[in-house]
Amino acid sequence: MSANPESLYRALSDAVLGMEEDKTRQLATQAVEQGIDAYAAIEQGLVEGMNRAGKLFETEEYFIPELLLCSDAMYAGLDILRPHLKRAEDVQRPKIVIGVVEGDTHDIGKNLVKIMLEASGFEIIDLGRDIPPQRFVDEAVKADARIIAMSTLMTTTMDAMAEVIRLLQTGNLRNRFKVIVGGGPVSQSFADRIGADGYAAAAPGAVKLAKHLAGQPS
Amino acid sequence: MTPLERFSAYAQGKPIDRLPCVPIVGNTAARVIGVRVSQFRGNGKLIAEAQVAAYRRFGYDVIRIFTDLYTQAEAMGAKVYYPDDETAYLGEPAIRSVERIGALRPADPWRDGHLPYHLEAMALAFQAVGAEVPVNGALTGPFTTASFLIGADKLARLMIKHPDAVHQLCEVAYQSALLYAEAILSTGCTPSLTDAMCSATVISPRQFKEFGFPYLKRLVDFIHSRRKAATLHICGKTHSIWEAMADTGADCISIDNAADLAAAKAAVGHRVRLMGNVPPSEIMLQSSPAQVRAAVRACVSKAWNNPKGYIIASGCSLPVETPFAHIDAMIDAVREIGWPVDPEILA
Repeated sequence: MSANPESLYRALSDAVLGMEEDKTRQLATQAVEQGIDAYAAIEQGLVEGMNRAGKLFETEEYFIPELLLCSDAMYAGLDILRPHLKRAEDVQRPKIVIGVVEGDTHDIGKNLVKIMLEASGFEIIDLGRDIPPQRFVDEAVKADARIIAMSTLMTTTMDAMAEVIRLLQTGNLRNRFKVIVGGGPVSQSFADRIGADGYAAAAPGAVKLAKHLAGQPS
Repeated sequence: MTPLERFSAYAQGKPIDRLPCVPIVGNTAARVIGVRVSQFRGNGKLIAEAQVAAYRRFGYDVIRIFTDLYTQAEAMGAKVYYPDDETAYLGEPAIRSVERIGALRPADPWRDGHLPYHLEAMALAFQAVGAEVPVNGALTGPFTTASFLIGADKLARLMIKHPDAVHQLCEVAYQSALLYAEAILSTGCTPSLTDAMCSATVISPRQFKEFGFPYLKRLVDFIHSRRKAATLHICGKTHSIWEAMADTGADCISIDNAADLAAAKAAVGHRVRLMGNVPPSEIMLQSSPAQVRAAVRACVSKAWNNPKGYIIASGCSLPVETPFAHIDAMIDAVREIGWPVDPEILA
């Protein structure tokens, strides 16, 4: 195959978009062997492919199963390329603490948001699911995160989001973090009512929201 | 009119006092008799008592015996977590790997998990009020149960990488659902299908047609073979699968607030009765009686003249803490609108 970096980026992007995990791994290995810049291979290859998948999701050509397989391919490539990043390129990404609130184990939506945020240049601390309110606060402080992102699919657990905001307020921490919420029963009016900084209906919107709140160009 | 008289007259085009109205009361019924949600666990008598009390308290038109979507998956080995006073949720799927699919067996509805208690609740509720109101037993669709058996994210990947395994899972979930449907019918109740994971918010219309539709159709055919009408509920976005939902043969399709009722009427209203669309969270849980009334009127104005009829209903099961005043406002609004509907009053 050609040693032209541009065509390799394109091939990486296509392999992610095409849900081809093995091929992505091969191409990433090839990039490393050919001494191609790892940062560019990630940004213009893997991330570009994931963002194209996100666009197809927005237009309802891809659905959750396709996005998950694209992300599997992206992460397989990242595992190979990340160790070859120059140190200066692997720091200073704004951090987001993300999780599904306590009482809920539905985490597909949260995982999609995490994937798309990761592909958009954020560093994600994924707490997982069924997370008590205090843990969101503790982990955000520990990581010095910019944003706390919470999701739930159940009406019964929505109030846990308000509880996180109350804990931030009583701890005099509210101004340190932006709080964003999402999930089936959550709406903009709910987000406003509990005093969250933002709401998005789906993963692509969450990326725009996070970039806006982190003061980054979208 | 009793609800059964109302439905019967409505189906025959005869005069009725008002349109049918179904706030889908699940665990909110616990609030009506002052018990905790977890007390329903393994207590069919209490579920029946609460559901009958809720029906009598609010005066709506269908009782649906339902606590959560997981009962069938639990009876096949999934672990369900029961909070003290909230709706149960999935703890662990029944299996972790494709190799274990062959070890799954259809549940025996009279023996496994909590299914016997749900059947007891259905039998008791039917004995109490079945002569005046339809009493349904919630039946989770095979594709959704399959997602609880192996985990939703794993199932999503398998659909593309290993479709045969997904069919194998859906088949055993279907066999289980068929036995449960048969048992529900023996209590006097009618199975009412919910297949949440089939939503176009989750999978593509093509994936629905391949993995959801065939098993739903077989269940609808079975329900029809017993001369009962079938209702099919799918949450989230459904506009791209309305035709396929009607193709299952379902007599009524229940859609949530992410779907456009007027568009549904235009697309499939000549084939199926529509139900749903009043937002369960934003309106029924979080707004006010006045906003509930406005939401009901908005729905009725879109679908009152649906060729196959319309049932005013919440888009999904109501959140546990839905205020009683909001449920009352929903039914009051339907009474005020009355019958025949005067579109000028709605405007």
